[in-house]
Amino acid sequence: MNTAVLQVEDLRAYFRTRYFGVKREVRAVDGVTFEVRADEIYGLAGESSSGKTTLVKAIAGLVKPPLQLVDGAARFSFLPGVRTLATASPDVVRAVRWSRLSYIMQGSMSVLNPLRRIRSTFDDFARDHIAGSAAEFERAVLSHLGKVRLDSSVLDAYPHELSGGMRQRVTIALATICNPQFVIADEPTTALDVIVQREVLGMIRQLQQEIGSSVLFVTHDLGVHAALTDRLGIMYGGRLVEEAPTAQLLREPRHPYTRHLIASLPRIGTQERRDGLPGGPPNLADPATGCRFHPRCPIAMDVCRTVAPDLRPSGDDHRVACHAEGAGP
Amino acid sequence: MWRIFKDLLKHNGEFRAGALLISIVVAMAALSFISPYAPDVSYVVAPDVPPNASNWLGTTSRGQDVFWQLTFAIRNTLLFGLLVALLSRLVALMVGLLAGYCGGWVDRVLMSVNDTFNVIPLFPLLILFYFVLRDRMSTPLLAVLMASLGWAYDARLIRSIAMSLKSREFTATGIFSGMTAREILLEQHLPYIMPIVFSTALNNMNWSIGLQVTLAVLGFMDIETPTIGSMIYWANQHTAIVAGIWWWIAFPVALVVMTFVGLFLLAVSMNEYIDPRSRLAGMEGASQ
Amino acid sequence: MTDYLNYAMKRLGQFALVVLIGINLAYVITHATPIDPVEQSISVATYFGDTAPEAIAAMRASLQELYGLRGGALTQYVAFWGRIIRGDFGPSLSAFPTPVSTLILRAMPWTVGLLATSTIIAWVLGNLLGGLAGYYRDNRVLKVFGITAMALHPVPYYIVALILLIVFGYLWPILPISGGAAMNVAHGWNWPFISSVLSHSILPALSLILIGLGGWFLGMRSLSSNIVTDDYVVYAEIAGVRRPRILFSYVMRNALAPQLTGLAMSLGGIFNGAVITEKVFGYPGMGTLLVDAVYAADYGLVLGVTTVSIIGVSLGVLIIDLLHPLIDPRVQVR
Repeated sequence: MNTAVLQVEDLRAYFRTRYFGVKREVRAVDGVTFEVRADEIYGLAGESSSGKTTLVKAIAGLVKPPLQLVDGAARFSFLPGVRTLATASPDVVRAVRWSRLSYIMQGSMSVLNPLRRIRSTFDDFARDHIAGSAAEFERAVLSHLGKVRLDSSVLDAYPHELSGGMRQRVTIALATICNPQFVIADEPTTALDVIVQREVLGMIRQLQQEIGSSVLFVTHDLGVHAALTDRLGIMYGGRLVEEAPTAQLLREPRHPYTRHLIASLPRIGTQERRDGLPGGPPNLADPATGCRFHPRCPIAMDVCRTVAPDLRPSGDDHRVACHAEGAGP
Repeated sequence: MWRIFKDLLKHNGEFRAGALLISIVVAMAALSFISPYAPDVSYVVAPDVPPNASNWLGTTSRGQDVFWQLTFAIRNTLLFGLLVALLSRLVALMVGLLAGYCGGWVDRVLMSVNDTFNVIPLFPLLILFYFVLRDRMSTPLLAVLMASLGWAYDARLIRSIAMSLKSREFTATGIFSGMTAREILLEQHLPYIMPIVFSTALNNMNWSIGLQVTLAVLGFMDIETPTIGSMIYWANQHTAIVAGIWWWIAFPVALVVMTFVGLFLLAVSMNEYIDPRSRLAGMEGASQ
Repeated sequence: MTDYLNYAMKRLGQFALVVLIGINLAYVITHATPIDPVEQSISVATYFGDTAPEAIAAMRASLQELYGLRGGALTQYVAFWGRIIRGDFGPSLSAFPTPVSTLILRAMPWTVGLLATSTIIAWVLGNLLGGLAGYYRDNRVLKVFGITAMALHPVPYYIVALILLIVFGYLWPILPISGGAAMNVAHGWNWPFISSVLSHSILPALSLILIGLGGWFLGMRSLSSNIVTDDYVVYAEIAGVRRPRILFSYVMRNALAPQLTGLAMSLGGIFNGAVITEKVFGYPGMGTLLVDAVYAADYGLVLGVTTVSIIGVSLGVLIIDLLHPLIDPRVQVR
């Protein structure tokens, strides 16, 4: 039986600014509902400005002005009674930070304090959560670093003395050392070359299997999703438009946007022309009425212009938000 | 540029405060043109009279009306500051742009000289100048001196902007599309540089006026032309504080402090507006 | 280690360059001017009395000798540097025959003590409060402090010193406003002397500190409010690292390096402020020495104090520069 570790219900998070008399509201996350089950890797895909990074930040409780949590909930199974981390009391949240919920941030270049040695960063982040003496802690850190194939010399180094790949592996080790139940990984391999990327993805999969944690993996790269994730959700214009087990989604995409995304992937052996989508990315400050995708959709109908489609079940563990796809069996 | 001022005036409290202070100061300076007394005559009114209806700010021990004397003093002081700021902008722009655009050994040489001027304490040097020039140290000469010594800090700022502009994409686009260097400089880069030049000019004015007041108070400057510093000098010479003639010192000090704080507030609010990071931080003040 | 040595060498080179240019500048100013310092000194010395012409001629000769104005331009220059290296600036005119170097050595501890303490206090306190203000943005007390700093910072040293003088000298006379120590106390390591020194240094130090504090506070506040949005700070917050630890080890630590550079750049300005503050409070340091020397047309003393102050300030900058890589390990790599 697979219980949900994370349950997101109609989450809405907007950027609201007021500067020099100009008021703006950017609806980065506009009503997202999904769940992440135990021991699975759930992928989130979408182009830039689809809202995926804002979504995971809101889930992780990283809501700072001008970002505001407007509505909805993001419940974790290990924090019953808490609607969202952002609105809970700081003590409650700190109790789970890093020990139950960890985060691998985008941009390994600058997530480590440039003026502290790696050893101190491990100390800051993990010492409080791992019982035992200082010596035991150091041994635990070293053995964990070994799992990402880094040796002890890394501990005494400063971040600028390590390569990009090494820094990324350090952040992965940092995020997993406390055996968290839930790991959010935001574009952890985007800045790396393909060879290191493959290694890092393998490490993530291995660690996930060892610890049994759930991973929410965000990247625009469908190839990575295909290689790593169990289930995949596609975001567009601040909303989830389709969700299914990864293999099934890639085989039978049911949303026009997903179909187009997959069709645009380069395939070895074919040289067909790939068409771009007409129009531009949606303006989240002034979103279109009805379905966000309708201005660019090849099969848009009249109803799409006025009524926003809900994410409805359509087949086995498959959900689609499109008027053209009726509710399936 | 005017749009920037209008925006700042409407929405930024610091800018408004600074603008208010500076308008008062400038108004005082403008009044000097309708002063009933010439600035260099003394004993035209009864000396040592506290503020009253006919002498709004009182009179000095030299028989001058404090209010009207002050209008001349602040006018000369402001003009001095403007002169130094203008001249030192020229030097700072030249050095900064040259170093930033040329790079290489030109940059290194200019920056070594620049850092030297940054480090050397200027006050002793100015004192040394006074020492050797004595009475020939006129106000314009002092302005030229200070301009030739006070450009170092801002030159470095301009240089770093020039360096970043040089490597930006739109510069390369300009070059590829056939714009001449002059066109690129004037049309593309100047809009970035001008706001910085302006706010550094304000800070420079603060610096030069402060230094001039200090020199004048010590008597190291031409003390016949009325400036804020010379007013305080004469007040000290006549031991105004001890004699209880506080208005002779208080009002010049108050007016010049208004000038300093006003210029500073203007410069700070402009900087905040220009710097994109602080703009982002400013946007947090939104609520629904 | 060799990286650091390279860096240190470069900094020493810059130091030497600054000192050389500065001293040469002082030399050129005094020697390439229309006014003859000898004639000047003579006119000041003979202002009050009628001096016999032979006496004046004798004075002229000995002054020219003392000021090294004998011989052509090149000989003078070489002789000048020869004496500088030996630390010999000749006798002081206003305190004849005390050598200038003695006067300077007497005044130096006062100035160094005042400058060092007030600069360190202002810098440390300003940075601390500024860091707190940048991190805890909504704290009322810190906000008020910020406004006060903004109003105080642009005011020049002289005005603040003057205001303090008026307030504590005439309105509320609880602190001594003149001198380095009470006149009737014997110098030495005894408590009456030390407490007298301390009480006399409060007002001058206060003027220097008040202005300096404002500047460092504002700078640190804007730096730390920028750093707070940097990735590694956000990351530490996601990880649940305790707030004080984030404030000190992540935010302020990273803001310290630019503030240190700023300290080096402003040493010149702080020295300027010290000169005028000393004069206002009659503090027996190099500032008062310099100003009085100018009034007395004491050429040797003026040149001497100028030279020593240039060397001193550049030395301070050098020390700070050498400390810099210890705070920021990235500096040498660049």
